[in-house]
Amino acid sequence: MSSTRFDKFWEIYNSERLRRGLLYLVLIVMVFWILLPLWAAFVTAFKSQQDLQTTAPYQPSPSPTLEPLRATFEIMIRPLFNSLTFTIFATIFSCLIGSMAGFILSRIQFKGSETVFLLIIVGIFIPYQAVLVPLFLTMARLGLINNLLALVITHTAFGIPICTLLFRSFYEEIPESLINAAIVDGAGIWRIYRKIVLPLSTLPFIVATVFQFTNIWNDFLFGLILSSGINAQPASVALSNLKGSQVALWHYQMAGTLWYSLPSLLVYFFLGKYLMRGFMTGALKG
Amino acid sequence: MLMPAIALVGYFVYVSIIWNLVVSVSDWKGLRPSYNFSGFGEYLDLMDDTKFRTSLTNNIMLILLFVPMSLVLGLFMAILLDQHLKYEGFFRTIFLLPFTLSFVVTAYLWRWMYNPKQGVINMLLRNSGLGFLAQDWVTNPDLVMYSIVFALLWQFSGYVMLIFLAGIRSIPETQINAAKLDGASGFYLYRRVIIPQIKSSSFTAFVILMVFALKAFDFIFILTGGGPGYSSEILSLTMYEEAFAITNFTTGSAIATIMFFLVMLIVLPYLHITYRRKN
Repeated sequence: MSSTRFDKFWEIYNSERLRRGLLYLVLIVMVFWILLPLWAAFVTAFKSQQDLQTTAPYQPSPSPTLEPLRATFEIMIRPLFNSLTFTIFATIFSCLIGSMAGFILSRIQFKGSETVFLLIIVGIFIPYQAVLVPLFLTMARLGLINNLLALVITHTAFGIPICTLLFRSFYEEIPESLINAAIVDGAGIWRIYRKIVLPLSTLPFIVATVFQFTNIWNDFLFGLILSSGINAQPASVALSNLKGSQVALWHYQMAGTLWYSLPSLLVYFFLGKYLMRGFMTGALKG
Repeated sequence: MLMPAIALVGYFVYVSIIWNLVVSVSDWKGLRPSYNFSGFGEYLDLMDDTKFRTSLTNNIMLILLFVPMSLVLGLFMAILLDQHLKYEGFFRTIFLLPFTLSFVVTAYLWRWMYNPKQGVINMLLRNSGLGFLAQDWVTNPDLVMYSIVFALLWQFSGYVMLIFLAGIRSIPETQINAAKLDGASGFYLYRRVIIPQIKSSSFTAFVILMVFALKAFDFIFILTGGGPGYSSEILSLTMYEEAFAITNFTTGSAIATIMFFLVMLIVLPYLHITYRRKN
């Protein structure tokens, strides 16, 4: 008797429709879990101080206001501009240098090229704490503390390893015959790079640019060590100071968070597929 | 053409690591640099230091909780998304979203989630009649590490999912079809056919998560600052406080060197296996 009951249970369990339903239920619960913190931040950023007391943090305000966004914009605009400046320059430099290195290390054989490649790749993984004191001393000696140039140099240097890996894995797919033919024609390495490799590099440049932009924009540690003064503060550091400042209330904190995350969100929603390819390079090809 | 990469990585990575090592065994006290060798006393002192030992213990706890849980959750999400869903792209985009945000942003979001008085979680519990479950999520020393791990799972599970999903998708279709012809389905198909084939994805995800858990800084620095007391203090925070808050450069450098060797212990075998296999 109990076995028939069990059979019945099994039948229901096995029915495709029920399983699909359960699957979507689990997925939707997870979507809520992922979106809840973002939703709460978003609605809080549009609240007045009074709403903050009278509405639950996940309830939208009955009368949304732009005041928190306006107030934090004044604090964040300069740091946001700073971040944009060093992020753009460091992205360009690390992509260019990484592209050249990736080309040499994928297509030009020389003694020790594998070792050089591995030594560069290790730079992806090292804990930045291990270089922080010397980095600080170097930049202090160059007089670049609280100067955007320090962040451009630092982010370029530490972006090169992942860019080299990324470009190398793309360039390995360029047919060797194409390069060899050019060598037979007597073309130098620079000429081959400019005339053959660069024109084929649109996709890796997009992937590397999107990936580096997001990484550098999101950085906090280098900014904190090298440039936490008022002159050249990155947006991440300015935001982290918001919780200790005069406007410590939650609607201001969330409004500041919104300003700072806007560029990374825009990049993700419009260029997300390239960003995913960037994520996968570190993971799969590596 | 290789020179810019070699020069910059050479200086900022390798020269700096050695320089850091030299500082850690020097007699540098105070603000003026001094590089006379003074032995490994700094490392011996650390072994007796309560704060360092607490941060090492917390770091190990972070690894033991965060790494396996991320792997299991990420694999679970990858299997869910591998069911020929109509809206797979939508779910993937949502699940990966937290990983594209700065840790500064996610730390702020979770400060708001965990705030005991007005915060999202406690208000949600109170308003649904579960007020007795409300907790001091990040101000209770017994709870704070679990709260941190939970928030980090929120941020990382989508990324682990992406790695596993790519691994599952790279298994040749013919092999899966052959297994299905043999009658494998559902749970059995994953346990016997698919999971054994994604060993390299698992290894990669494991290494990335381990390295992250060892060097994590931003998120905990902003969410709890290591507190209350030292209850969420980890190596990177202690290193920062020693070197940059109280300018105790030798101690900071010594902790940094320990962190470097711990990370290399994981990364070097990984690189060895990944790149030797190719050649």
